[in-house]
Amino acid sequence: MDAAADMLIVEFLFLVLCLAILVGARWSRQHADDELSHREAQERAEALLRIVLTETEYAQLGERGYLEVRSPSQPKRTYRVPQGPGRVAVHEGGVEVESLCVAPVEWLPSGDIVLAHKLMIEGNEQEYLRRANHIRLRAPSRTPIAER
Amino acid sequence: MAVLRVLSRQGDTAFEWDVAGVREGNAEASAAVREAERIFAEQRARGATAFRLWPGRPAERIDSFDPQAEHIVIVPRVAGG
Repeated sequence: MDAAADMLIVEFLFLVLCLAILVGARWSRQHADDELSHREAQERAEALLRIVLTETEYAQLGERGYLEVRSPSQPKRTYRVPQGPGRVAVHEGGVEVESLCVAPVEWLPSGDIVLAHKLMIEGNEQEYLRRANHIRLRAPSRTPIAER
Repeated sequence: MAVLRVLSRQGDTAFEWDVAGVREGNAEASAAVREAERIFAEQRARGATAFRLWPGRPAERIDSFDPQAEHIVIVPRVAGG
């Protein structure tokens, strides 16, 4: 009886081990697939940026880490869209006056986020501003780089 | 070729159609443009915004599908964070 019970335990442990190996292999494959599709999405977004941005805009994004987008309604206003995570800085006459917290509701590759901001500002500025959370600066700051 | 791009977590997905072929009544081109129009309507219904792009000019928001546009990009709904 004891030998039979021992055998059952060994079989059970063997099954658990097989299951763990299967789950681990599946998770590993899924993780590798996610990594690949994530990388491909980033590459596609980067390629689209190269198509849509001018050479100057694309170079500015790489060098300064943000894309400057002119307001279509206010000649002295520009928006600085960061390449990575962060708020969009609003400048009036070269002085930062507020920042905006606004983003697409679904995850996008970083290049597509920059593009989404640019298109919304250029083509739908009032709606973009209406949806954004505005963080006013207490004392507007002049950033030297803005005047270049 | 004209192109409709939909931004999503996969990067952009592109749907192309032949503007000249549509004008000439080519069946394949007409089917492609109908598919692009369907995707446009589907995305708009989900709250996305569409823009017509022109080289060297600011983007222009469009509320209805333009089969003559060379480049349309659809951006998912944006919200304050």
